[in-house]
Amino acid sequence: MNVTLAVKQYISKMIENSGPGMKVLLMDKETTSIVSVVYTQSEILQKEVYLFERIDSQNRDNMKHLKAICFLRPTKENVENLIQELRRPKYSVYFIYFSNVISKSEIKALAEADEQEVVAEVQEFYGDFIAVNPHLFSLNLSGVARGRSWEPTLLPRTTQGLTSVLLALKKCPMIRYQLSSDMAKRLGESVKQIITKEYELFDFRKTEVPPLLLILDRSDDAITPLLNQWTYQAMVHELLGLNNNRIDLSRVPGISKDLKEVVLSAENDEFYANNLYLNFGEIGTNIKNLMEDFQKKKPKEQQKLESISDMKAFVDNYPQFKKMSGTVSKHVTVVGELSRLVSERQLMEVSELEQELACQNDHSSASQNVRRLLQNPRVSEMDAVRLVMLYALRYERHSSSILPGLMEELNRKGVSEKHCRMVTSMVEYGGKRVRGSDLVNPQDAVAITKQFFKGLKGVENVYTQHAPLLQETLDQLIKGRLKDSHFPYLGPSSLRDRPQDIIVFVIGGATYEEALAIYNLNRTVPGVRIVLGGTTIHNTKSFLEEVTLTAGAGQAERLQRAGGHPNRR
Amino acid sequence: MASSYPPPFEGTGEVKEGFLCPLCLKDLQSFYQLQEHYEEEHSGDDRHVRGQLKSLVQKAKKAKDKLLKRDGEDKPETGSYESFYYGGVDPYMWEPQELGATRNHMDFFKKHRAARIDHYVIEVNKLIIRLEKLTSFDRMNIDAGKIRAIEKSVVAWVSDTDVPFCPDCGNKFNLRNRRHHCRLCGSIMCRKCMEFVPLPLAYKLTSGTREARSVTGSQSQSPPTGGGGNVSGMGSRRGSISSLSSVTSMLEEKDDERIRCCLHCMDTLMKRQQKLEEKDHVPDIVKLYERLRLCMDKVDERAPEYIRMAESLNAGETTYNLDTAGGLRMEVQKYYELIDALSKKILTLGMKEEPQPHQKTLQLQRMVRYTATLFVQEKLLGLMSLPTKDKYEDLKEKRKQEQEKRLTQERLIAQVAQKRRQDSEKNRPAASTNGEAPQAPRAPRMTKAGGWLPSSDTLHTCGELEDPLLQQIDNIQSFLRQAKAAQRHDEVAMLEENLRQLQDEYDQQQTSLAIALSQRLAQEESLQQDELQRLEDRERGEREHRAQSQAPGSQATYTWQGSLNLTDTGSLHGEEEGEEEVTPKAESSPLSMRAFPALTDQDEESPPRLRRLGGDVTPPGGEGQNSSSLNPFEEEDSTPVEDPSNPFFEEIQKEHKEVANGKKEYNPFEQEEGGEEEQGQAEGATGNPFEVKEENNEGNPFKEASGCTPPGASTNPFEGEDEEAMPDVDVIEEDLLLQQIDNIRAYIFDAKLNGRLDEVELLSENLRELQRTLQEQKSKTH
Repeated sequence: MNVTLAVKQYISKMIENSGPGMKVLLMDKETTSIVSVVYTQSEILQKEVYLFERIDSQNRDNMKHLKAICFLRPTKENVENLIQELRRPKYSVYFIYFSNVISKSEIKALAEADEQEVVAEVQEFYGDFIAVNPHLFSLNLSGVARGRSWEPTLLPRTTQGLTSVLLALKKCPMIRYQLSSDMAKRLGESVKQIITKEYELFDFRKTEVPPLLLILDRSDDAITPLLNQWTYQAMVHELLGLNNNRIDLSRVPGISKDLKEVVLSAENDEFYANNLYLNFGEIGTNIKNLMEDFQKKKPKEQQKLESISDMKAFVDNYPQFKKMSGTVSKHVTVVGELSRLVSERQLMEVSELEQELACQNDHSSASQNVRRLLQNPRVSEMDAVRLVMLYALRYERHSSSILPGLMEELNRKGVSEKHCRMVTSMVEYGGKRVRGSDLVNPQDAVAITKQFFKGLKGVENVYTQHAPLLQETLDQLIKGRLKDSHFPYLGPSSLRDRPQDIIVFVIGGATYEEALAIYNLNRTVPGVRIVLGGTTIHNTKSFLEEVTLTAGAGQAERLQRAGGHPNRR
Repeated sequence: MASSYPPPFEGTGEVKEGFLCPLCLKDLQSFYQLQEHYEEEHSGDDRHVRGQLKSLVQKAKKAKDKLLKRDGEDKPETGSYESFYYGGVDPYMWEPQELGATRNHMDFFKKHRAARIDHYVIEVNKLIIRLEKLTSFDRMNIDAGKIRAIEKSVVAWVSDTDVPFCPDCGNKFNLRNRRHHCRLCGSIMCRKCMEFVPLPLAYKLTSGTREARSVTGSQSQSPPTGGGGNVSGMGSRRGSISSLSSVTSMLEEKDDERIRCCLHCMDTLMKRQQKLEEKDHVPDIVKLYERLRLCMDKVDERAPEYIRMAESLNAGETTYNLDTAGGLRMEVQKYYELIDALSKKILTLGMKEEPQPHQKTLQLQRMVRYTATLFVQEKLLGLMSLPTKDKYEDLKEKRKQEQEKRLTQERLIAQVAQKRRQDSEKNRPAASTNGEAPQAPRAPRMTKAGGWLPSSDTLHTCGELEDPLLQQIDNIQSFLRQAKAAQRHDEVAMLEENLRQLQDEYDQQQTSLAIALSQRLAQEESLQQDELQRLEDRERGEREHRAQSQAPGSQATYTWQGSLNLTDTGSLHGEEEGEEEVTPKAESSPLSMRAFPALTDQDEESPPRLRRLGGDVTPPGGEGQNSSSLNPFEEEDSTPVEDPSNPFFEEIQKEHKEVANGKKEYNPFEQEEGGEEEQGQAEGATGNPFEVKEENNEGNPFKEASGCTPPGASTNPFEGEDEEAMPDVDVIEEDLLLQQIDNIRAYIFDAKLNGRLDEVELLSENLRELQRTLQEQKSKTH
């Protein structure tokens, strides 16, 4: 069930298949990200892969002494490029791997282009997704929805990605989907269709309890991606933006040249792996320790190496020292930048209010606080908008809603028209009308009691009160209490037993907060393994873009329809 | 039970068992699921049934237990039931999985390719054969008309009238844009679309087939070419006709040196030519690269062997020969040099040539070089140095002493344990397990010691079965045999002495057991109290000392104490952080072990004292080691670092724990103190006679040994021994210096490569210093 390992194994198998000798890895844009997320350069260099090329790159020389490993998505352009490549081969042998199902006719076209018999292998290796963490994958697709339905080109792409995850993990699942979302149903059907069509591929060893694929829609929980995060990974993504485990620090003031873009990969950065899910305060302590550790080693370099033993110690420490100096400066920079942003944008206060909006039920205090923070000049435009959005989502139908007043406040603050319109878009995207579950107001007695007790006990950490809806959904799923009426099975059969292997896919993107919730569920609930995936991994910024795309297209659609009807009449 | 439901266990026809719902008889997998099911389905039903559910489940379980005793079929179910109580699994720890699904299309691919290839090969061969025919006569000396006739005989030309437009570019043919025929396929093209095959190329392309035919008989094949294959015969005619041909060439561009052909044929021929070239051509980079890989493989093969040797030698063991190890070291280092040289050569391949190689070629070369550097860095640094001859002798001696000490301690510990066990009042686990119990829970944290700890457990359980004294006697007997086999007479003597003592002890013990029992109890208690007092004093003192030395980091220690449990590496960091003194040792290479005396020297502590301190202050640690491996030869694999450092680490951990937990930890302390007491006894009872003896016995053989094997070029062995206690910078062995110089060179190289100029400067300064020292040394010794 480890998605990172699955991709890694595919790639190392490819390299293994090609035997010894110098190799070049030929990829396309998407497979490049897929590979780079799971392997570092030095790791792959050790496997004798010395060059990384794009299949569409024109600037490639004849190098007949290299073996080429092609890892490509089975797109039309890639096949066309490959045909050209095979007609005039630049390398001695070609090992071709497609990341998904490829049609017979395309293979035939390739075979006919291979007049020089340079192709040694044509296979499908289903690594068609970005494996962010062992239990988290993304497809790096944004703007998947047009109004309430699929962007036509992205449904097949999402289906491919999702089926490749299933194939890579060797799971042939039962499918449940969120009834309130038509997109979820469509995707489920599409996946089911592939499973039926490629039944030979999906013929895995049967497990006692069949795996389960749960398809959800982001619009059911629009609150989670709007909140500021305080765990390391989530926070980095929220404030700096993690893209294929890389962050761009070039905007950080006074950044040194080699830190403009840094890689944060739990695979080979021990500090990051240990602190991925810790909160900001704990990371502060840990980074302090790391620094002290580093400083203890550093004097050896600065002080004159006087005796032979000094030198020896220095030499002995050298590799660790070198490795450490990289890690230290990286994390110090990142954490430093995070804390700068936190204080600059007054994120502590903003986050506290966000949590209050998301988790508590006191309208008057909430509305007062929102108003107060909107008047604070140091609160950024983005944060102001998101507070209003949270308020709008939370107290959408409240009798004494002050939303119009808040909108005015936004205008007075000088927030751009575009951002103001986003508030309406957001309500349209994730408002009550759309939601299938009770995101904000728990209805049943158990949930109300739970909330009551929570209120009584007081809150442990005001910044991390919020638990994503997904957590509750999965909790119920594991306990077998998830209602069939809200999350029906696709097809006639249903799961009798407690589910064991669960793949959750969120249309419209998952978040790192949810990844953390899944991580904790994995750790605490025995006998259950859960993998989370999304069309992308959102932070607030990307989520707002997604919503704008979705809503904008939805409006256009509706306008068209509205305009179309009179004409027909 | 509600009467409306049939009694579950007295069903009529079929007998159901397992977790059945008492209400609807649905078979559920586990207790948990049954409960779930019950709550879901029947929560609205009669309430009082619920109370009965549990008793029913009990019954079911009992019935099942009975079943299980008969056959274990249902076991997986109980397993899953129990696993409910365990925690989940961190995704990073998920068990390894097999490779994901794959699908191979190669067969299908090959099928389609084969059809295509057949066609292609036929085409190429056809062209080659025609080309051969066209080139097998002397074009220079035959007039144009004849040539044309021959050419037309090779392939039928397409009729001019059939082709009004050039098939390639579509231009209309007319008087100015004339038609040209491809000599290879007979097709028509315009001048612009025309290509020429130069004769040399044509010869080259056909050389393969020509040779092949010359075997079968070229004479029979040549007649159709008309001119005859005899080159020497034609040479004579050349002069007379050349003038004529030059005239015709004026009229129509004559194809003396080349053969006209169309784009398509040319393309095919060029591909063929490329293939021919590549077949035999091996670029320089490949040759170099193959050698590079060979060296890397050699290193991968040799380095572990060397490391094993070096570790053993640095531990003062005699399994390997110092000279062999030195030779191996040289060999491995030579490979590194080779790797470096080869990769450098690869890097600069073609750099001086004009034009410069393609940027991708350069990139490839850079990457190969980079990989080689990484390889050297990673592996070379693991290459610990060897002890010099003198040092090795010292190490050997030290090890021997340690072993003896351990032996005597073991014996005593065994005795004490024996006494303790019989001591009815003290049935604490600590007493019966040689005071090892307090260590046991902590053991997993001692990452360095991981190698031997598990084995000690098993050994230990064995030990418990027998009388430890008897077992000890057995052990010593086996040591004796081994020592005899190894011809270590001094040890044999000592072991024999030990054995005698042990046997005496055993006899005595049997008789005096009953009498001593009460006496010992009283004695032990008083001793314990004393020790407790002493221990506390020392702890307090040391804590103060530590507190001073690490006042700034004191806050940090709490956190790493926590992280110790998490990961091995985490604990390593922690150790390094916690105690600066330990840092070099924590590097775990014997290399640093040798640096260690010097370091401690600066701290105004001599290593023997430190070691003593380690053994003394933390008997539990030292003892845990000692008693754990009943056979001292077993410990040969462990690095020497372990011995001095482990007790230390333990000590530190203990202290932090103490700091963290305050004074709550009295129980473990009492037990430790028990261990301490044993230790005290051990030293008190046997320490003196043995030590004296060792010195007497062992002084000589070692002197002899050093006499036999002439000491290395450097210093007097006796001097070396003296120096060892407080090594000085002045007397650095030449070997060590040379090694160090090697190492520093490697670093300079690496630093240069990565452009860290400040480091380069620093390092080269060191290098100079080292070289100076070396010179001085040389002048001294000569």
